Amino acid sequence: MIRTNVRLVRGCRYPVLFILALLLGFGFPAAGAAAGPLVYDHADLLTAEQEAELAAKAAELGAERQTDFIIITLNETGGKDIVDYVADFYDETAPGYDGPHGNAAILAIDLEQRDVFLAGFKHAEVRLSDARLDNIRTKITPYLSAGRFYDAFDQYLELAHKYMGFRPGVNPDSIFFKTGFQLAVSVGLAAVVVGMMAYRSGGRVTINARTYLDAGRSRVVSKSDVFINKTVTRTKIERNQSGGGGGSFGGGGGVTRGGHSFSGSRGKF
Amino acid sequence: MVFDADTGKLTCPSCRNRLDIESIPENLRGKPSGTEADRGRPSGPAGAADAGDTVTYHCNNCGADLLTTPETAATRCSFCGAGVVIAERLSGEVAPHLVIPFKISKEEAIKAFKRWCRNGLLTPRGFMTADRIQSITGIYVPYWLYDLNSHIKVSAVCTKVRTYTSGDYMYTETSYFDAYREINLNYVKVPADASRKMDDELMDKLEPFHYGDLKVFKTPYLAGFLAEKYQYTDNELMPRVKDKIGRFVEEYIRSTYSGYSSVRYKSKQIDTSKVQSYYVLFPVWLVVYDYDNFKHTFAMNGQTGKVVGKPPISYGKVAAWFGGIAAGTMLVFKTVSLALGGGFL
Repeated sequence: MIRTNVRLVRGCRYPVLFILALLLGFGFPAAGAAAGPLVYDHADLLTAEQEAELAAKAAELGAERQTDFIIITLNETGGKDIVDYVADFYDETAPGYDGPHGNAAILAIDLEQRDVFLAGFKHAEVRLSDARLDNIRTKITPYLSAGRFYDAFDQYLELAHKYMGFRPGVNPDSIFFKTGFQLAVSVGLAAVVVGMMAYRSGGRVTINARTYLDAGRSRVVSKSDVFINKTVTRTKIERNQSGGGGGSFGGGGGVTRGGHSFSGSRGKF
Repeated sequence: MVFDADTGKLTCPSCRNRLDIESIPENLRGKPSGTEADRGRPSGPAGAADAGDTVTYHCNNCGADLLTTPETAATRCSFCGAGVVIAERLSGEVAPHLVIPFKISKEEAIKAFKRWCRNGLLTPRGFMTADRIQSITGIYVPYWLYDLNSHIKVSAVCTKVRTYTSGDYMYTETSYFDAYREINLNYVKVPADASRKMDDELMDKLEPFHYGDLKVFKTPYLAGFLAEKYQYTDNELMPRVKDKIGRFVEEYIRSTYSGYSSVRYKSKQIDTSKVQSYYVLFPVWLVVYDYDNFKHTFAMNGQTGKVVGKPPISYGKVAAWFGGIAAGTMLVFKTVSLALGGGFL
């Protein structure tokens, strides 16, 4: 019963979205006309409904960031490496929110090799650096491993959208962006300041160590510093084994055969 | 005649005649002698002064008999308002060596106090107008000034830590030193109030007094003010004054160990002794303020105008400041977050 209701509600959203898309289409003819599909479910991991939902969400969030958020699922890559597959895909399909070969972020998974690869092109290359893509990949890999593909893709859309809002070079997961931390610091600072004000309201001591010291007649009469012994401890320096990949494969970006550079992060799930 | 804080001279309120105090000859160390301001004489035997709680004095101006506490050295006649200085309490053994005369007159003191109340960030609005000053009293508080010598012997184990990397390893090298210091410190004119009535913490906060204004004591300085004789001897107050410079000594010791990463004291021998002590009188305005049916006492340095004392605290204002600062900080966080692309929420 509840399920039916949900379906009804979801069903109702489509006409609205359609009208919205139409309106947007008139507003930005180039973007609207060039937009190809955003979800390529070659491995058939999603139901038609899930696919439509993800496509709608990708379109909605993508519009805010002027970027196509693309999802590709594959049973096999035809012998290509997944990075090459995505690069060729970009060259051939020419996706992009702002026109062919435009801003696009691509998530591709290959079930045969259990590879996952994330790439950012153009604006998304700037805003979704290797490090940020690594972050996204680390967060969605558990879902992929558990076979919860819809959740993984949904999370990817959310994170890609969120991260693209941050300026390059800023760590989007920094504690300074957490409201709880900000609140704690604000309240703590206020408490300290008000406490100081209350403490100082009764007048404070304004003498210091030099007030009564007769500096001319005060001195160190004698001193000695004798070396006794010395201890040395050593610790091994932990070095990061991989440059940007972080996973089992060194990921990172590259350049497509068509000459489009991209940021990237790859790993296994 | 009364002491005028502006000119530093004795002034007659009626004829405006002025008298330079430093030109008045006085011999307090020897036999007490009558002076210009010495209008009172004890009516009882001199020995009774310290025995009872109150002593009677006879005002030479109007003839009234005054009751005073045994410590009172100067007061005003409650009948005619004339300044009364009791010479016995200020001569011989109990004669002050030095005095800092009042620099701030009563009017200036009231003005300065009102200004201070207005600046209170947490004080209630009703308090800030400072229109309920119940009394303001100029009082010469007895102090002991100490010249102290501290002889210090400290030995400590100190470390210096150096880190460097070589190959795949980070090395931490800790060197240990046996560091010994012998220090000689001299502190001059460290004050401690010798009045039982005055709150020690309050009096400590009144410091510093500037010693450039120290004058050789003469009784006319007291005319028109209250004064007390000391109730603790210099030896009785030694522990307090030692405690007072204790943290300065510690600070000095620490400064001689600069350059080390860590210092662990093995033995610390601090021997502080009195070189000299002076009995002095320092000027203090005591303000009693009635707020919300509660008396608040404040003290003002009669030389510098510094005010100390616990003012009432308005919870409304505390809440407002707290809220304001917290909200302001939050806003800064959110603005920075927004500027960096983190969104507002």
